Amino acid sequence: MTPAESPVAKTGADLRIPFGLALAGLACMAPLFLGNYPLHAIIIALIFLLPAHGLNLLLGYTGLLSLAQAAFFGIGAYASALLAVHFGTPFYLNFLAAGLVAGAIALPLGIPALRLRSTSFVMCTLGFVIIGQAIAKNWIGLTRGDMGLAAIPKPYFALGPASFTVSGTVGFYYLVLAIAALATLAVYLIVRSPAGRNMIAIRENETLAESVGIPTWHYKLIVFMISAVFAGLGGSLYAHYLTVVSPLTFQMYYSTTMLIIVLGGGAGTISGVIFGSLLFVGLTEALRVAPELRMIAYGFFLLGLVFWFPNGFAPLIGRFWSFLERRK
Amino acid sequence: MLYTVIEQVVNGIVSGSVYAIVAVGMTMIFGVLRAINFAHGEYYMLGTFGAWFAIDYFDLPYPVAIVIGVVATALIAVVVGNFVMQRIVGAPAEAGVLATLGVALILQNTVILVFGGSYKFFSGGYIEPVTLFGFTLAEQRILIIIVGLIVFVGLELMVTYSRIGKAMRAVSQNIECCAVVGIDVRHIALWTFILGAGLAGLSGVLTAPVNVSVYGGMGELITFKTLPIIIMGGLGNVRGTFVAAMILGIAESLVATYVGLQFRDTVGFATLMLVLMWRPHGLFSAQARF
Repeated sequence: MTPAESPVAKTGADLRIPFGLALAGLACMAPLFLGNYPLHAIIIALIFLLPAHGLNLLLGYTGLLSLAQAAFFGIGAYASALLAVHFGTPFYLNFLAAGLVAGAIALPLGIPALRLRSTSFVMCTLGFVIIGQAIAKNWIGLTRGDMGLAAIPKPYFALGPASFTVSGTVGFYYLVLAIAALATLAVYLIVRSPAGRNMIAIRENETLAESVGIPTWHYKLIVFMISAVFAGLGGSLYAHYLTVVSPLTFQMYYSTTMLIIVLGGGAGTISGVIFGSLLFVGLTEALRVAPELRMIAYGFFLLGLVFWFPNGFAPLIGRFWSFLERRK
Repeated sequence: MLYTVIEQVVNGIVSGSVYAIVAVGMTMIFGVLRAINFAHGEYYMLGTFGAWFAIDYFDLPYPVAIVIGVVATALIAVVVGNFVMQRIVGAPAEAGVLATLGVALILQNTVILVFGGSYKFFSGGYIEPVTLFGFTLAEQRILIIIVGLIVFVGLELMVTYSRIGKAMRAVSQNIECCAVVGIDVRHIALWTFILGAGLAGLSGVLTAPVNVSVYGGMGELITFKTLPIIIMGGLGNVRGTFVAAMILGIAESLVATYVGLQFRDTVGFATLMLVLMWRPHGLFSAQARF
């Protein structure tokens, strides 16, 4: 299709596709020109992209502010670590199991929580994180308490007789990149489906959505579970990458980070969340010099975000595209 | 046996009073600003640090340290109130969450940067034990209960009879109508915030002699304890918050004795979830604001 025929040509889509392809190509070649440390920062950013995608579905598309992502992130990390340490199962099994366990636990938690209104819902989801941490600390028989689980094997794949282990930063980078790309594709498909439009309808006006026949309760519950699955998958990657999990995986700080990624990048946009995770996680990982100064900078950044960019940075990208468009 | 139970209940009332003084400010701030203040525990920490600084660096007596701690907290609250809290009046809920999380990060880490992250020893306060009705209790704990009662009665009188208290109630009911009848909403919001932060600071100074250790991250725990209290008490409801704080304080000290100390900090959120399943709007209706 030539640009003249394309209905979206005016919004600059013809520029976006080559730009996106170039970015993808750059991502594939990143290990060639980046050192181990920047690569590590990008890996962490891509791991956090998964729970952030989940939160974006929940907050950006369905309009539910949840702080529970860290709880499901931790559940996924522990599920994956326990399987790997106790049964020596291959990575893909642990990875899928982590997502399934997180999603399954989200069902009984979501049913009472989603009955609550805004502020009470936020607090209830925060409670999941606090209680998750207490369980990880005190169920010593299973989790070894504060000592955590160490020596989680690096991801290894076994298909029949053939098996190989992903070790080293570069190998892990490609693994995470592939998974992040698949997750992004999954979110794209969900959002573009009729279900995605129903979610947006719930975000915009829940009563109205219900009156036109959208089963809002089921939608909210299922989206809550999907977001937990994404968080659990991210947790699994995190556990296998760092090779240790501890009760500190259940941290309010992680929920905050995911919230910042989504709101800072631009809730309700996919590119915004990718941009947000690279910017906030990648950058803070790269700036690990003085932890206090970093947190103070983070705090000021949050304030700036709230007061000057209430819609996140995604609109800026949009403005950049239209700027390019005008110059042509 | 019974003696231990009563002793733990009294201890629970002491920590309940501490939570109440912090939570009551937070719930009033919610009533006026419609924002959950995630930085509220940091003002508790600032009060403690102000008093610790006065005692440790200038050898001032404890009562003076109380005043310094509260005034320092209130001054910081003036700055935060002017630059942050006033601007989130009428903003969406996410803005309030993000902005107060940002403030919490800034305050907490600035204190750690200036004073170091290690635990400090708080040497002031009245820690002499006294015996009342056969129970031995530190003087400081009695002081905490008395101040808790004074704050409760004082706030009740203030919001019922004083001009600014009535204005606070009005703002918490309807912001637009307040603007119409000439109440300066931003002004009320600022003063409610300063009052709430000052009370949190006071609570911090009063608890310091009991807790003994002072450190930069102490505010976060208090924030997480007060959040379930204000939800259970019905957001914006002062009386409900007091009752919820007492319930949580007593429940915590009983759990710490009979179940295990490590479960103490989970009691708040566990109770909150049970309460919310049974009463989604908290124990007390938010209709009775203030």
